[in-house]
Amino acid sequence: MSIRPIILSLIIGCLALLSNAQSPFFKMHQIGETYRNAKIELIFEAQNSLLWIGTSEGLFSYDGLEFVPFLKSDSTSNHVRSVFQNEKGVLWVGYHDGTVWYLEKQQLNKWEPEEGTPSVPIMGFAEDHNGNFWLASYGEGIYYKSENHLYNINTDDGLLGDDIYVMKTDKLGRIWVGTDGGISICEIRNKEKIINNLTRDDGLPDEIVREILEDDDGDFWIGTYDKGVCFYDFEKEKFEYPLSNWDNGIVSKLEIFKDRELWIGTEGNGVWLLSLLDGTLQKLSNQNQLSGSKIHDLHKDIEGNIWVISNLHGICHANRQFEFIPITTGADFENIQSILADRENKVWVGTEKGLFTHELDELGNSFFTQHLKNQSLNVISLYEDNFENIWIGTFGDGVYIFNKRTLKIRRLTEKDGLSNGSILSMNGVNDKIWLATLGGVTELQLNGDPLENGSLSTRNLNQEDGLGTNFIYKVFVDSKARVWFATDGKGISVLENGSIKNFQKAAHYHEDEPGSEEVLLKAVYSITEDQQGHIWLSTAKEGIFEFDGKEFKHLTVKEGIRDLAITSLITDKKGNILIVHPTGLDILKPETRHLIYYDKAVGIEDIDPNLNAVCKDRNDNIWIGCKNGIIKYLPLNESLEIHPRTRLSNVSIFLEPIDFHSDTTFLYDQNNLVFDYLGLWYTDPSTVKYRYQLVGYDRDWIFSKDRKVTYSNLDPGTYSFNVASTENDAWLDEPIISYSFEVLPPLWQRWWFILLVLLSAGGIFYWYQKARDKRIQRVNLLEKEKAESNLAALKAQINPHFLFNSFNTLVTVIDEDPKTAVQYVEKMSDFYRTMLEYRDKDVIPLAEELALVKNYTYLLERRFGENFKVNLNMSVEQIYLAPLTLQILLENAVKHNIISKTKPLTVNIYMNGDDYLVIENNLQLKIRPEKSTQFGLQSLIKRYELLTGKKMKIEETEDTFRVEIPVVK
Amino acid sequence: MIRLLIISFIVFITTSFDIEESVWIIQTGQIHFRSEAPLEVIEATSKELKGVIDTKNRTFAFTIDVKSFNGFNNLLQQTHFYENYMESVEHQQASFTGKIIEKTVLSKDGVYTLRAKGKLKIHGVEQERIIKSQVAIKDGTLQLRAFFTIFLVEHDISIPKIVHQKIAEEIQVRVEAALEKNR
Repeated sequence: MSIRPIILSLIIGCLALLSNAQSPFFKMHQIGETYRNAKIELIFEAQNSLLWIGTSEGLFSYDGLEFVPFLKSDSTSNHVRSVFQNEKGVLWVGYHDGTVWYLEKQQLNKWEPEEGTPSVPIMGFAEDHNGNFWLASYGEGIYYKSENHLYNINTDDGLLGDDIYVMKTDKLGRIWVGTDGGISICEIRNKEKIINNLTRDDGLPDEIVREILEDDDGDFWIGTYDKGVCFYDFEKEKFEYPLSNWDNGIVSKLEIFKDRELWIGTEGNGVWLLSLLDGTLQKLSNQNQLSGSKIHDLHKDIEGNIWVISNLHGICHANRQFEFIPITTGADFENIQSILADRENKVWVGTEKGLFTHELDELGNSFFTQHLKNQSLNVISLYEDNFENIWIGTFGDGVYIFNKRTLKIRRLTEKDGLSNGSILSMNGVNDKIWLATLGGVTELQLNGDPLENGSLSTRNLNQEDGLGTNFIYKVFVDSKARVWFATDGKGISVLENGSIKNFQKAAHYHEDEPGSEEVLLKAVYSITEDQQGHIWLSTAKEGIFEFDGKEFKHLTVKEGIRDLAITSLITDKKGNILIVHPTGLDILKPETRHLIYYDKAVGIEDIDPNLNAVCKDRNDNIWIGCKNGIIKYLPLNESLEIHPRTRLSNVSIFLEPIDFHSDTTFLYDQNNLVFDYLGLWYTDPSTVKYRYQLVGYDRDWIFSKDRKVTYSNLDPGTYSFNVASTENDAWLDEPIISYSFEVLPPLWQRWWFILLVLLSAGGIFYWYQKARDKRIQRVNLLEKEKAESNLAALKAQINPHFLFNSFNTLVTVIDEDPKTAVQYVEKMSDFYRTMLEYRDKDVIPLAEELALVKNYTYLLERRFGENFKVNLNMSVEQIYLAPLTLQILLENAVKHNIISKTKPLTVNIYMNGDDYLVIENNLQLKIRPEKSTQFGLQSLIKRYELLTGKKMKIEETEDTFRVEIPVVK
Repeated sequence: MIRLLIISFIVFITTSFDIEESVWIIQTGQIHFRSEAPLEVIEATSKELKGVIDTKNRTFAFTIDVKSFNGFNNLLQQTHFYENYMESVEHQQASFTGKIIEKTVLSKDGVYTLRAKGKLKIHGVEQERIIKSQVAIKDGTLQLRAFFTIFLVEHDISIPKIVHQKIAEEIQVRVEAALEKNR
């Protein structure tokens, strides 16, 4: 009735609780101070199960703990009217101002088709079977984007109204829209708009359609303005009307729990539940403040929570699997000792103060009616026989058999053959009933209705018959009609084919250790059977045992059982075992050993349950009697998520977020990483625990409640960050989220770099060696050629002909002109001296060579007079020649040519361009050529090739001989 | 049906002497188009846009003579445009008729964004389109500007593959018009 704020201040959101009578336990979520005035209007669960909240102030993501705002990037209104996620996973947001935005890289981007977007509120989105994208507007009908354009369908096209309340895709891929005039079913075929309308004439109870909800079969539940809810069966193509009368106002939202109930949200009249089991309509607790509110949205999440968005309470949620029925004020009892749901689903409650039944008034409020008031019963066990009689086991007063219709009563005590008057537990099959008493077991055989003159016979079983002890807490008849007895101190006994066997020792097998260890079964409190036919028992102190007929398996704190003071075990219709203890409820999946803990977050708190005060009703609901009320557990037909959904929400390098979906390699200095992760568990976000391991760094799992971890200074290498989350303490089969990455070694440590460096060093060395070899070779060659050339020159000069001719010349000169003769001898001596001087040099300047040539020419001119002429036609250049080059060539010219008065020899020496020195003479070969080895010329050619790399050019025509010498610069 | 109504409506308003207060008629109007293909940009303009808007019924009708476009890169191009692509002998007019989506009352001076939903007829092929336009009303004149894209294939205008380099498959269109109430 009142809002009890609880002191649980989480990062932004904070919670408050709504207490109420028989209804799920609602928890409120507040967006926080900054957005205190935001009107919350819708809730949407994305494919990754993150929740999105649409408000008048903007869009928020919500992970159960923290609201994160996502606002438009322009200054227009952030009033969200619809959220949708398309097949590709893109989140679309429709606003009150008609604009449409989509989320990309954690940012809202405006959708801007050429046609513009509506100027009225966007009410919803859809995708049809052709992949067309649809949007519904309040005022302009609907739009669809097909290929290149955005198209409109409104009343001009035959739509029943332009104000659209709801848009849904049916299982045929057609678009259904709810309008003020009925339902229009639209599809696009061959670019044609095809519109089919459903109105009152087709059976729609009201033309104003506010809500359409698809159930698991793809059929539609339709919420109307005035006439409540109807159902459209696609197979029959017909409307059905599960509600005969509806006067609870406008239906605004619907949600469904498969084959269980339809939640109907109204505008101003709270939530109503239509039972799909028996067709009854019940208001969601009148005592709850949701009752007068306007329901903006309803949403069932994957954990079985129902989220309600209302004008009065904003966001609140409850786990639909649990209801808590308090013992209402006025009921004169507490501490439920026994509970029974009879064949008509009436719940009987046994207490110290007597026998009561649980009743509901027209508004869904619980109350209790007392029965057999006059008997002042202390009821500790209850059973219903085949004749619909209620058997009431008391403490010390035997058994009462009671029929609620005939009101007949019969009492059985020790006098009637009972082993003891205190009956702790009763159970039976067909017409056999076993009573567990403080004095052993009494087996009753019914012959006809015991209240209608039927007779009954008794047989007592006790320690002498093989029973562990005579103090039995629980009788349990299994699916094979074996009867199991939980004894106080001596383990478990079973009655099979008339004889009793007792089990006291349980071999305790450890999964991870070889061998077994014996555990003594002492006091056994409770027994149940799983779907495989295994018997499960809880003990006073040693936890739980699973017995497959041969061996016992032991489950205790290590396996995640969080409280060993277990009062009851009971199996639900999915085969899960409910473990009831004072801390709350653990739900165990026998095959995987997975446990889910439920406690105060779902309204189970301070329950102080009594031994075996549990029962299952005809709708498979489980009722658990506690000190202050009854827990009702409704196994849902949905396949619920049993693990928190772990997600890596962010990876940062030096606090800078990265796109971790694609970035997986980092440089050696990008080695400070922060991982943010989260386990979504809406049932109770605060219980989520994590374990993580950076494979390649951490040696083992690290357990934590933090949602962030930093690794700094990682060495180069490959790593995998693994993280898992759990809502309980047993780490068994929790899915692991993994992110692998590599920190690269620095450049100079990478193998290819090292290889490259080695290769290039080797290359350089090789090249150097090669070049050096080549140079040495050339120098050697040059030396050789030089020597040869010098030799040739010397040979030529010491040639007897030359000397003979020179001396002849000298002789003639001495007579005629002694002075000139002296000069001649001087020149000759100069010539020989310079020749000797230069012969060891590689190159000499042109000027020096010319000086030599002048001396030589002087000698030749003296000899041949006017018949020999050398024209030096050049300025002295800064160039070099191999020594004696010109001398050898002149020598050759003189040697091979006729030199006479009629045939004078002229030698021209000049530069051709900058690179070549030309020496040219007219060709008049001697008829009898002088013997020649061509030695001098060949030697010159090689020397120049070595010196300059260029070839000497030799041209011989009919009347000229020409040599071009590549000069050295 | 709606189209027929609109056409008869145009006939009515252009022949009637009693023209309603809410009817705006184009005084000057031009359509400019631009085809931006990899090898060539073609642009042409016509100043012979005709049309009316009835702000009371939110209806409108615009037409243009296809042959009135000028400004091609050369005469041959213009001839091709008329004869090969638009086949203007058969399909002399292009038109856009329909209804304004916004229920805005255009009685006051101001700037409005209006979306016109109607049938765009080019090359004899009608396509439903929504065209967004900026409308400014001031001193008894309604200035209208709109941009939209025409996809040639939607109007069965086929261009040989070889010419794809020269003619874009999407043509950008700009409309500018000044309308006045006819009194």
